[in-house]
Amino acid sequence: MTDLPVPIGLLAELTHRCPLGCPYCSNPIELTRTNAELDTKTWINVLNEAASLGIMHVHLSGGEPLVRPDLAELTNAAHLAGLYTNLITSAVGLTVQRFSELRAAGLDHVQISIQGVDPARADSVAHFKGGTRAKLDAAKRIVEAGMALTINAVMHRNNMDELPAIIGLAENLGAGRLEVAHVQYHGWAIPNRAALMPTREQFLEAEQIVIEARARFEGTLVIDHVMPDYFAERPKACMGGWGRQVIVVTPDGRALPCHAAATLPGMIFDNVRKKPLADIWGHSEAFNRFRGTQWMPKPCNGCERAEIDWGGCRCQALSILGDATATDPACALSPNHARMKELASASATNTYRFRRIGG
Amino acid sequence: MTDDTRPKLAPGVKLHTNAKRGTVLLAPERILELDELALSIVAQFDGKKRISEIAAALAKEYDENADVVRADIDSLLKDLAAKGYIKS
Repeated sequence: MTDLPVPIGLLAELTHRCPLGCPYCSNPIELTRTNAELDTKTWINVLNEAASLGIMHVHLSGGEPLVRPDLAELTNAAHLAGLYTNLITSAVGLTVQRFSELRAAGLDHVQISIQGVDPARADSVAHFKGGTRAKLDAAKRIVEAGMALTINAVMHRNNMDELPAIIGLAENLGAGRLEVAHVQYHGWAIPNRAALMPTREQFLEAEQIVIEARARFEGTLVIDHVMPDYFAERPKACMGGWGRQVIVVTPDGRALPCHAAATLPGMIFDNVRKKPLADIWGHSEAFNRFRGTQWMPKPCNGCERAEIDWGGCRCQALSILGDATATDPACALSPNHARMKELASASATNTYRFRRIGG
Repeated sequence: MTDDTRPKLAPGVKLHTNAKRGTVLLAPERILELDELALSIVAQFDGKKRISEIAAALAKEYDENADVVRADIDSLLKDLAAKGYIKS
């Protein structure tokens, strides 16, 4: 490995605890319990190490990061280390008091996830009554305070019809950015795939709606569209490429190249309790395992897109093909691409398995 | 954009300096690398200084024609505004 990349982002998964139970949660099925979580001092050390490594963005995430009473303290430590602080939250629990503490601590940006615009429908997906109300109240408070707000709308077969209303909501709230994020099939979304997968027609319509809205809101609302791999012809670069841009630190301190990497068999992850982050980034087996292009099988090996998508998603290759080293089946050049299409058009179910600790 | 426009970075957008990377413009989930001239222009977007003042000051600093600098500022502003880095 030559020229070690300088990472850009730290995804700090402060906890797996969350009041919501969304059936597409990207957390692993095996959730970390409270007593295994890193303490305040260890997180502050990680934040300082991240800044020294050249990381610029820290994403304070979870689970629901607001369940950590030390969130403002951690935000302030990140801020003092010179990091750009981004809170990724459901906003359930983002009270006037908590928000004002976080703002004083130097929080730069809040990303609120929503399940839709219709409160009854949205709350039923989140498995939490009153959630939508709390989210909207918090969103208004953030914009009124002059802070940057992103709305992250997770899209699937049962809310795709709400997309125009979701765009309208982001506009009315005064959000600077909207993520139209199709469910990514990792974590809890795998057992719920048949209940969440949109039809091809739904996906194509959503794409059209986003293109039109982008033109309409140029300069006022940035709209990012996170595509579902199942309808793609080319894979996405996992986290900007394995071991290239992002370090994920799990609630119990394991450093991962992506938040789903813990599903990969035979992988050894170093823990920030035991080793400095710079050491883990540069030398750990896990970060080097799929870094660069050396590990790639054909047709990735020698492909002109090898350094664009960096071989796509290893966890997807594992979950669909049972082989983490295979070409991502999202790629039309994969010999197993048809399998992806079959799963996308598999018969739908209407029952969710809601996320909860203890699976 | 008129002479009196006072450009300001959008909420959540800020210049960031880091020993490993120099200075970049940071926004939610985005990083924009700018050249030296663009960085010195953006550093003036504080919501208080007028475009005309910024152009005059930078023209003096770089010993350049004020109209040329003004054209650079306008084109940078337009580009940044379209991408949501500037709140108009």
